[in-house]
Amino acid sequence: MEERNNTTTPATEAKKCSCGWGAFVVGLVVALILGWWVLPNLMKETKKQPIAFSHVEHVQNQGMTCEQCHFVRADGSFSGTPTTAQCAECHFTVLGSNPEEARFVREYVQTGREIKSEWLVYQKQPDNVFFSHALHFGPLAELRGPKETAAFCSKCHLNVAETDVPPVYTENRLSGYSENTMLMWGCERCHAEHMAMGNTNASNACFTCHK
Amino acid sequence: MSSEVKQFKIRWGMVIDIDKCTGCGACMVACQAENNVAPAVDGSNKLRSLNWLTVFRLSNHKPFPDHEVAYLPRPCMQCGKPSCVAVCPVIATDKREEGGIVSQIPPRCIGCRYCMASCPYHARYFNWYDPKWPGDLAQALTPDVSTRMRGVVEKCSFCHHRFMKAQEAAVAAGRDPMDLPDGAYITACTEACPNGAITFGDLNNPAHKVHELIKSPYAFRLLERLGTDPQVYYISKREWVRREGDNYLEHEKTGEATKQG
Amino acid sequence: MDRRGFLKFAAGGTVGLVASPIIWNTLYDAVYWTQNWGWIPRLKKGESEYIPTVSKLCPSGTGFVVRTVAGTPVRTIGDKNNPVTHGAMTALAAAEAELRVSPARLKTPLRRSPDGAYVAITWTEAETLLKQKLQEAGSSVAAVSGDPTSSINEVLTSILNQRGSSDFYFMPDEEQPAAVAWEAMGGQGRLGYDMENSDCILAVGAPVLESWGVVAANRSAFNRTHPVAGEPTQKLLYAGALQNNTAAGADLWLPMKPGTDMALLLGVAHLLIKAGKQGFAAGLANFASFAAAYTPEKVSGITGVPVARLEAAAKALAEAKKPLVIAGSALGAGGSAGPVMVAVAINMLLGSVNREGGLVDMPFPVSVVAHATEYRETMRKRFVNYTQAVAAGKTKAPALLLVYAANPLYSLPADSGMKETLSKAGYSIAVASFMSETCEACDLVLPAALGMEAFDDVQTPYGSGRVTYALARPVAKPFAGARSAGELFIALAQELDLELGVKDMPELLYKHAYALGAPFRAMMDEGRVFTAKTALPASPLFYNWEAIRSAASARGAEGDIQVAPVVVLGMGTAQTAIPPFATKVVTDYQLKGKYSVAQMNSATAAKLKVNAGDHIRLVAGNNVEITVVAAIFEGILPDTVSLVAGLGHTAFDQFSKGKGSNVLALTSVCREPGTGLPVWGLAGVKAARA
Repeated sequence: MEERNNTTTPATEAKKCSCGWGAFVVGLVVALILGWWVLPNLMKETKKQPIAFSHVEHVQNQGMTCEQCHFVRADGSFSGTPTTAQCAECHFTVLGSNPEEARFVREYVQTGREIKSEWLVYQKQPDNVFFSHALHFGPLAELRGPKETAAFCSKCHLNVAETDVPPVYTENRLSGYSENTMLMWGCERCHAEHMAMGNTNASNACFTCHK
Repeated sequence: MSSEVKQFKIRWGMVIDIDKCTGCGACMVACQAENNVAPAVDGSNKLRSLNWLTVFRLSNHKPFPDHEVAYLPRPCMQCGKPSCVAVCPVIATDKREEGGIVSQIPPRCIGCRYCMASCPYHARYFNWYDPKWPGDLAQALTPDVSTRMRGVVEKCSFCHHRFMKAQEAAVAAGRDPMDLPDGAYITACTEACPNGAITFGDLNNPAHKVHELIKSPYAFRLLERLGTDPQVYYISKREWVRREGDNYLEHEKTGEATKQG
Repeated sequence: MDRRGFLKFAAGGTVGLVASPIIWNTLYDAVYWTQNWGWIPRLKKGESEYIPTVSKLCPSGTGFVVRTVAGTPVRTIGDKNNPVTHGAMTALAAAEAELRVSPARLKTPLRRSPDGAYVAITWTEAETLLKQKLQEAGSSVAAVSGDPTSSINEVLTSILNQRGSSDFYFMPDEEQPAAVAWEAMGGQGRLGYDMENSDCILAVGAPVLESWGVVAANRSAFNRTHPVAGEPTQKLLYAGALQNNTAAGADLWLPMKPGTDMALLLGVAHLLIKAGKQGFAAGLANFASFAAAYTPEKVSGITGVPVARLEAAAKALAEAKKPLVIAGSALGAGGSAGPVMVAVAINMLLGSVNREGGLVDMPFPVSVVAHATEYRETMRKRFVNYTQAVAAGKTKAPALLLVYAANPLYSLPADSGMKETLSKAGYSIAVASFMSETCEACDLVLPAALGMEAFDDVQTPYGSGRVTYALARPVAKPFAGARSAGELFIALAQELDLELGVKDMPELLYKHAYALGAPFRAMMDEGRVFTAKTALPASPLFYNWEAIRSAASARGAEGDIQVAPVVVLGMGTAQTAIPPFATKVVTDYQLKGKYSVAQMNSATAAKLKVNAGDHIRLVAGNNVEITVVAAIFEGILPDTVSLVAGLGHTAFDQFSKGKGSNVLALTSVCREPGTGLPVWGLAGVKAARA
């Protein structure tokens, strides 16, 4: 111990120190790069929707309403994204010049392949969640036009109404869930409030949302 | 966990007429199918098989030929003062939602089984193993109730998803989801009973049949003197059946507690 | 880099990681893991549809609504709009969506290879083989059907008739002895029962609330006549050896020794005659004097029914406005005609024939396929007579034996000759939905679609009081490689250039509906069910006391202990075995692990020196020995043990295989005196602790 103390001069100490801080900084930078970019990107997997569906074309150019494809069924359940059969009500044959449409007609309508089961749901929820669109639609009846509807729906969903190509779907490789999946606190933001969205039934009791 | 009991505007309840039940088991089959309860290879092992609803055979304990038999279907009693809720350390079970159904959230359950110990009706079951649907059986799973995993407790939920669906349908039809007509929401066992032994509805709502039925002089509840205040009522005109509902001493009369309740 | 430098690098790295979102995001993502149980099946999503149809697996043709999710059946729910079953379900029908995908379900045609193992073959190969075997067999072809309500039988009989064979049979059922009895008493149509409108029903031996007749309809009638917490508008009296499910719903239970139905009914007849119930018809005086020998005391001695209860039953019938007496067998097959004759006679005494709430003389189902045999004719033929003759070498074994929707190897007594017939037959083909014992013994197994997967129909089942007609409509694609049996047989006939007069199943169903005046379109599109009160002109009934007398001379059961079989639909049928979702309905007083449970009262147990849970050996008159577990239940006659039917399967899947013993193994085929009907003799057993 004594010997070592003797050999350690202030100069070498300072040198070691600066080298050590360098190592610290290198470690910090490497970790920050890993933690901010490399690992998150490694865990993310981006996927493309099976068809580059254009909401702009359907809503703005063709004047369709949201409810023509996304509607509440008579039993109160929500249709979600349309099935191939629903799409084929118009697209039984190629209507426009978009190559994606032609591909859709060729690969799905003509073969009977189901687009609904291949479509990636940005807000995919686990089996344990009961979500009723109808029960959240209370104020929707008063909304007018796609703009207001889109503004309302995008409280939870990505606002796709004005997109020409579907947004990129990002999935966490580890959990298998979409980056956009709303977590429980997101639901509770409203459900914990007594008069959330003007509805007094929005309790945050477990069974309100779980099955 | 407070001693205060939450009051509900709606109290879903069941009235089971034991004199009408002949023990065929259609309710149990419908319950399993509806709620995605996995089948058991050896269902005769009653310690290992998991049922949300079980039909028990009752006996008047008299020798032949004066013996009488009755069948008693036992769902979760959805107690007004549930002893399971009070002991759950993680609030995996709760009674808070309008309707008064005791909720059970399996992914939240830590498997301590305190609730099973505290439930006087043995209405709770533990998943000792992972549920199995051999071969293609999983194809017949309904989309309504999430499958459970080993290590958690589960129980009858009065087919709660049907309550949610009835509310959805009411909203879609422009009606008040909190004022469902009689029959708009019934459980799978109620629906399956060929003898009509089970009646389901809102105990608080005078427009629902159960509201009157529970006032019958023949109505009773299981172990009602424990003070759990079950939302499941039974009816039998046979005194011995009513006596089976609780541990009565010879001099004690049935029916007192129900009247107070 | 030295140690200190490395530590600083590590410290920097740690600070960096903590300052970056990766750890926190991963921890945050842990919430997803409460939901990720990759080895547990996930739920499928999709639109729910509710399509009304009828069950072809449940013998009572239960009307149900099949709930499909994205096209796959997930639930069967009682159809409230069905005018026959009014939404009532059975434990079997409730399990049908799951049975559709059960492990025992046949997925592909199977051919037995020379080494005895099954080889999966394609449908093209199977159809070629079927056609070739049928052509080779010439007229030496026999067929048996276990589904008497289906018009597919007509296609089969037509094929057989045109090939020159008359060997088409129905499996033994409840109706065959009843038809014999009704005819013996002068009935000209088909025997029906208007249970719904009766105010007092005496069911002798017939478990009307569990397995006899149109059970779902019986239960729904029970429901409507027994309001919740109210006064019943119908009395139900049940005579049987134990307090089964029917007894649980009955107002009065008459504990009756197995096989003594005749004596009990004659005793009731005697009491009613004494009470002045003497509906007139030829032979009344002779019948009355014959029945007079059956005094309450004597009947009580034979049957074990206490005199007071016998008198109470007779009194209830005498006082009722619309009484109805039904006789049937606990097993549902292999019953005698004698009790039904006496039951008919009692109804005649009470004036309960062709009256609301009484016996109904109904028309038989009519065949619409060219060259088909009439239902009534097939009903007169006895499959067991045929198999026993083949086994004994008295009849030539068929070159081709076709078994459709039946499992005779399991559901017939061991000495029925079925096993021998199958091995003697040149070639055997089973058309079935599940891998049954019979399938396992056949050379070719063809997977048939279920009622919810193909076109089929339910013509008035036995036990109904009305003519009913319901269509089974395909609500889902056939599972795996299954195919519609009806279409298969029609295609076969066309291949063989046979004339049917129908080109496919819908046309066959249409012809039936047309013949009945039923609204075919509404039935096809909306699942409507046709019913009609078509009573025939009253038959010239008479008290055939001679037939009754000879039937009454049947020997009683021997042995120390009588066996009372119990049929419960939760145990499935011989074709389905125990549905996976019904195993929990099987109670611990029916089955314990590998053993059937024998219920007995404490007096019997004391006599046998057994306690609950003990293993006991039962040895039947035919020297078959089974080991069962004893259970004490006071609702059963002394010296009687009850065993549930439907156990002891050696085929099917893990839900049925190797569980308990088949109660039919204890029976042997006897002939009823007078009628010569093959009946399952439930000879007594010797019991001892194992």
